[in-house]
Amino acid sequence: MKKTILAALTMGLFTFQAYAADTVKIALTGPFTGGSAPMGVSMRDGAKLAIDEINRAGGIQVGANKMKIEVVERDDEGKNERGALVAQELSSMGDLSGVIGTVNTGVVLAGDKYFQEKGITKIITPAAGSASMTQWSKAGVKDLSIFRFSADDGIQSAMVVEDAINRKLTKVAILHDSTNYGVSGRDDLLDQIKKQGNKLQVVATEKFNIGDKDMTAQLLKAKFGGAQAILIWGIGPEMAAVSNGMAKLRMKQPLIGGWTLSMSNYIDNAGKNGNGTLMPQTFIEDPITPKVKSFIDSYHKTYGVSRIPSPMSAAQGYDAVYVFAAAVKQAQSTDTHKIKDALEDLRDPVKGVIATWKQPYGKWDPANEQTHEAFRRAQVVMGMVQDGRVVFANKADRQRLIKEAGK
Amino acid sequence: MYTLLIVQLAVSGALMGMVYALIAYGFQLTFATSKSINFGQGELVMLSAFFSLTLIDRGLPYWLVVPGGMLFGAVLGLFVERAAVRLSLEQKGEGWILLTIILGLLGFSAAENIWGRDDRPFPTPISSDPLHFFGIDVTPLELSVAIGVLAVMGLVELFKRKTLLGKAFEAVSADRDAAQLMGISATRTIQLSYGLSGLVAALAGILVAPITTVGPTMASVLILKAFSVAVVAGLDSGFGIVLVGLFLGALESLTSFYLGSGWREAPGLILLILALAVRPNGVFGKASIRKV
Repeated sequence: MKKTILAALTMGLFTFQAYAADTVKIALTGPFTGGSAPMGVSMRDGAKLAIDEINRAGGIQVGANKMKIEVVERDDEGKNERGALVAQELSSMGDLSGVIGTVNTGVVLAGDKYFQEKGITKIITPAAGSASMTQWSKAGVKDLSIFRFSADDGIQSAMVVEDAINRKLTKVAILHDSTNYGVSGRDDLLDQIKKQGNKLQVVATEKFNIGDKDMTAQLLKAKFGGAQAILIWGIGPEMAAVSNGMAKLRMKQPLIGGWTLSMSNYIDNAGKNGNGTLMPQTFIEDPITPKVKSFIDSYHKTYGVSRIPSPMSAAQGYDAVYVFAAAVKQAQSTDTHKIKDALEDLRDPVKGVIATWKQPYGKWDPANEQTHEAFRRAQVVMGMVQDGRVVFANKADRQRLIKEAGK
Repeated sequence: MYTLLIVQLAVSGALMGMVYALIAYGFQLTFATSKSINFGQGELVMLSAFFSLTLIDRGLPYWLVVPGGMLFGAVLGLFVERAAVRLSLEQKGEGWILLTIILGLLGFSAAENIWGRDDRPFPTPISSDPLHFFGIDVTPLELSVAIGVLAVMGLVELFKRKTLLGKAFEAVSADRDAAQLMGISATRTIQLSYGLSGLVAALAGILVAPITTVGPTMASVLILKAFSVAVVAGLDSGFGIVLVGLFLGALESLTSFYLGSGWREAPGLILLILALAVRPNGVFGKASIRKV
């Protein structure tokens, strides 16, 4: 009896390994429950759309045979300690080709060191905090297996400041929440104002706490300082309170801030007061090209929704899978180290829904973390809230993206 | 212009202060009769708000949702009394402290599992378009909070003074043993006070939800402020609670304007410390007389 079980087990082991050898094993991680779930779930579902498409076409061509992608999903709940556990578990799997995901910058900081230790290739998306990549340049790491596929806060704050300057504004107020994210966002904004020629005078810098609902004092400071726009860094619910407070105080100034202003819990809680709010976006749920349309339609159909909870996260997850798959094909291997080398020198352009990715990454240079950042200013546009959705703020961006996709 | 600014700050803050006062009033109701309070009062506020939101989602009109939510709150209050308070009071113990905290935690997890962890908007027919009074902006929504708070507190006070049951309530508050010797059931009265306290908490939740949005953590900040208000005012005076609530709300708003928004929470805490150090029975509280 014992022997049969043992035999069955060994058989199972062998068949599993035989099966595993034909697949590329990718882990998708992120918060699939909890406050940042809209981003995590959209990212995962977008990535799975891409994986399904690849698998339906037979898989990735490696040598003589085609390999299908096998997915491992792990929910980090947006919690740092949970994220560290997930990273430890995944990095000890041995046959993992790579990891895609993570929404919260804190989770990135808690978990990525385990991947880096084992040299496991990871593409971070959609976490945007600058620290996710600068931690490696600060440590002076020579060889890095962590890549990012997300518009970092540096690009975003530059765009926010640029937008205010383009509107011929001279006086702005900065509002931010008291978390790491909000405070570093404020610093990025102040930094960018200086970099872009000190054309904006900051008349008030005010903060608010998570859970604050009455923003009257902060807004009055901005109002009486003569601010022509409010630049904001925070997350959904509190920024909605700011919008609602502005409506109460009859402040018609534009609200411009980080991409979190496209979170559904901002849009829903601010309601009509959110109209006109501006934020950088990597993807807008607007079927501008046939490729984008088919992506949006198949997302809606597959997951039974009429609005993607976080369109940016979904599109980034989708494109990240294609970039990763291209690296597997170029490396002709499921070995995570070889995939890393291929990512650093991706020869064929990858057609995604956000853009066509030509050489998104370069060889890691600790003096310049941009070598492992895929997004440049050109791939990011300004979005605007309009009646519960995010639309293109500038028609010109829409035209430009259509034209670029046509090339 | 400058005075207007101060008035605007004070008014906006004071209107939020009314909500602190209403929640603090819930503490005061049960403390009066039983010398115990429900440490899970914030969860009561939150659960009632979620329940009312569910009623709205089911398509019930607002005027039915308000009493429905309040009834739910009252039932929860009764449940807390039965499950966490009654036995420990019978044994003259302090078990109710831990038990009400535990019930609160349980309510929190239940809400997370039933309704999720997201903050959700609470639709209301009351408009949030600003009205202009003498140069300051107030939304009808904020006014509805003030009116609701004053109305329910007025009614409860009237009930305590004018009805037989209310008089029993006062008698138990004044001296539980003497009231019991006169044939008043202290247990029933305490039960009643917890029911009322739950009802008041539910109303607070419904009134404040359109402003704060509804989520499991919606009351966690409010409850701390309410606790400060209750302690500073003293747990004996309904009228004092309103005054302190208004004062604390306005003070917070002014502090965050003049000292910076990082100091917003400071006045409440300083008031709390001062009250405990100088007048431990509260500004409007009666000094406790202990007969030996």
